[in-house]
Amino acid sequence: MTSRTAKPGRPAALVVLPLIVLALVFGTLPMWTDDYWIRVWTGVAMWAGLAASWNIIGGYAGYISFGHVAFFGIGAYATAILMQPGYDWNFFLTLPVGAVIAGLFALIVGWPTLRLRGAYFAIATWALAEALAQIINTLDFTGGSFGLSTPGNPSTWFFYYAMLIATILIYLLTFLLFERSRFGYKVKAVRDNEAAAQSLGINTTAVKLQAFMLSAALPAVLGGINAYWITFINPQSVLSGEVTDQMVVMTLIGGLGHLWGPALGAFVLYLASTWLGAEYGGSTSYIAMIGALLAIIILFLPDGLIGLAPRARGMKLVRKMLGLSGAPGGGGAGTAPPGGRP
Amino acid sequence: MSAVEVKDLRRSFGGIKAVAGVSFEVQPAEIVGIIGPNGSGKSTLFSLLSGTIAPTSGTIRLDGRDVTRMPAYRIARMGLGRTFQIPTPFTNMTVRENLLAAAVESDWANARSRADEVLEALEITHVADDLAGTLSGGQLRLLEFGRVQMRDAETILLDEVTAGVNPRLRQIILARVRALQEKGKTFLIIEHDMELVRSVCERIIVMDAGEIVFEGSFEEVASNEVVIDAYLGRPAA
Amino acid sequence: MVRAMQLLIQTVIDGLLVGGLYVAISIGFSLAFGILDVVDFAVGEWVVLGGFAGVAAHTWLGIDPIVFLPAVFVIFALIGSLVAPLIYRVRTSRYARPALMALAFTFGIAMLARGTMLTTVGFDPRTVQTSLVGGTLTIGGVHMPWLRLAGFLFAIVTTALFMGFLFFTRTGLAVRAAAQNKRNAGLMGIDVKRLSTIVYAIYAGLTAMAGVLIGAIYTFTAQVGPQYSLLAFFVVVMAGLGSIGGVLVAGLFLGMLQALVTVYVGADYTLAIVFGVLFVVLLVSPQGVLRRGLAA
Repeated sequence: MTSRTAKPGRPAALVVLPLIVLALVFGTLPMWTDDYWIRVWTGVAMWAGLAASWNIIGGYAGYISFGHVAFFGIGAYATAILMQPGYDWNFFLTLPVGAVIAGLFALIVGWPTLRLRGAYFAIATWALAEALAQIINTLDFTGGSFGLSTPGNPSTWFFYYAMLIATILIYLLTFLLFERSRFGYKVKAVRDNEAAAQSLGINTTAVKLQAFMLSAALPAVLGGINAYWITFINPQSVLSGEVTDQMVVMTLIGGLGHLWGPALGAFVLYLASTWLGAEYGGSTSYIAMIGALLAIIILFLPDGLIGLAPRARGMKLVRKMLGLSGAPGGGGAGTAPPGGRP
Repeated sequence: MSAVEVKDLRRSFGGIKAVAGVSFEVQPAEIVGIIGPNGSGKSTLFSLLSGTIAPTSGTIRLDGRDVTRMPAYRIARMGLGRTFQIPTPFTNMTVRENLLAAAVESDWANARSRADEVLEALEITHVADDLAGTLSGGQLRLLEFGRVQMRDAETILLDEVTAGVNPRLRQIILARVRALQEKGKTFLIIEHDMELVRSVCERIIVMDAGEIVFEGSFEEVASNEVVIDAYLGRPAA
Repeated sequence: MVRAMQLLIQTVIDGLLVGGLYVAISIGFSLAFGILDVVDFAVGEWVVLGGFAGVAAHTWLGIDPIVFLPAVFVIFALIGSLVAPLIYRVRTSRYARPALMALAFTFGIAMLARGTMLTTVGFDPRTVQTSLVGGTLTIGGVHMPWLRLAGFLFAIVTTALFMGFLFFTRTGLAVRAAAQNKRNAGLMGIDVKRLSTIVYAIYAGLTAMAGVLIGAIYTFTAQVGPQYSLLAFFVVVMAGLGSIGGVLVAGLFLGMLQALVTVYVGADYTLAIVFGVLFVVLLVSPQGVLRRGLAA
């Protein structure tokens, strides 16, 4: 379940080359495609970011949050409210506000429940999301069930780049924190064996809370951008349980606890849902479909789609193609032969 | 000042007194063995010392500081390291990552090179990048022992680290324990292997039914009536 | 003053009557949790599916849903006995995190059920029509619709039967043993897989039957599943996961709490207050406030 991207010693070209190609493709996307596809890719970027945020608590910390839409919604409402006439906040300044509020909510919910077994946490987060939707339905300054409009309407590419950059930053942060730093080791150690982690001096409660707060703050930022993008929000749209469903399913289908799993899941599922919507209309069959897909993946492919392409096999092929087969493997998997050892 | 000082420590589960009033001291750089039949409270004692469970009453001092009822992670940060009788690997992390994870609250700057040393010393370099969940029982114990070394703790509790480990690696573990003792580390060791206890422990505490029934050198223990009755007389399960 | 008193009594009675149904939803759910060690996120979907089965009985078969209840039990027990082995398989697998995967698995089952219902019947609100039970019983100015009384009675009877099964049959004893300690139960030669299938089947059938009655009392749509799940969670968390006696008290308490909030605060705040109470319970007493005595 561990991603092993970019181990030291692997030829840099293998990492850098695809990244340059990806950067070129996605960086110039608005120049060579139409509005429809820009919007589709904005959606892919957003869901990749949302699933990656969920993966922090679900995959790295090992606690399933079934109420993550609450944080997405908090971000959406923070941005929409602060941009209302009378407040007139700058759009970019509203994003950190949403993130901080979402983080605080995570602290309040996580504090009692993260000490308990996972089921309590799953229930508490779900209850939070349902209750929040109901409260916002009744409040005045949130526009109640009618919702809120956001002012102004920048171009399609503005939102594309905003979403893309936010999501890239989320991945960068996840990569640095969870694959490259002490914090990542702490979180994974707590996930795998809490008692052992404590015996190593890790403050497990604090580590879990930090991971959950981070996992909550990031979707709030995406929620804020989304609120500005779709120009109109209400509890049915930005606090719908379906948002959580998608985050969970995309992560699990892509690969739980893998850095790139959520991106892969978001890519596959968002394009599939767009196609289904265009072909058959309506989204109810989509719910049934992803439910079935989730069950099937868990039964037969618990590592997700990313588990289909074991790194060892895939990279060997790429190396051969690049003529790098003789390059030293460094700390890569399976480099030392087990010859003769007990 | 003692490295470990325990006074009248008690812990009961329901009506069962797992640890029933235990007091002892361990001096710095001492290696003390704890023996006793299964269920005599040895592992519970370790859990009490490391803060994994809280005592019903009594006090525990580490280097003179009262650590009674402190959370486990704070006791660990005050210089206590332990292994678990049932190995507790981080199953979804590689062996190397397991070792690195053990250093997050100690010398992190040199963690990588220290992990390499430990892998080498315990002869598990060939499985360094395998997931810990795939290791054999003996390898898991080595990893458990390796992790506690990464901790760089001053006082180390070893709970049957050599069970299921082949004789040659057992010698390696013993050599490591002695080398660490030279550096001033203190050890408390639960062991069923009497040969090992004799060769490494300077003092032995014998437990039975949650109490200390005898304390002394191996020779004294081996010739003591009470001990023979409580432990040596019965075949170790 | 008298009218205020009467309103209070009426509200409490209403709440208790509804609470009976919550007990009926939660009791099987609680035990399924105990034995499978998985919180079934599909619990609310079983309720809604049961409701639709009641609607189908009336509109397609022309059978009164109340008469149809035994058939509902059999149908959903069968479906449940197909789902249970899958959950068991995930829960006992050698995956990295089986507990978490099993949770997500039931979540997937819930989505599959909800999506299928939405696709086939849409968003329209429905009610289960029954002509067998109607009218209202009035005692001292307190009104009790016969339908709700029937629902309450059903809850009491099924709970009693269920308790009887648990405490007076051999299988029931094995279930209680397994719910307390699966490893030991396994050692004692109890087939935990078969037991969990039996329990899950009974739970699914029971919950769907409760769904028929709930659908007769309240209007429902294909979307309301999660709300019933939430109520079942509330009851089970209050009771302490796996405690049968606690479920009885917690279910009635929830019904009363909900009725009181609806009357005295406003229907829009029920979920928020229910959540607030749940939160405080988790904070103060994570093992559940009622976990004493009758632990199953």
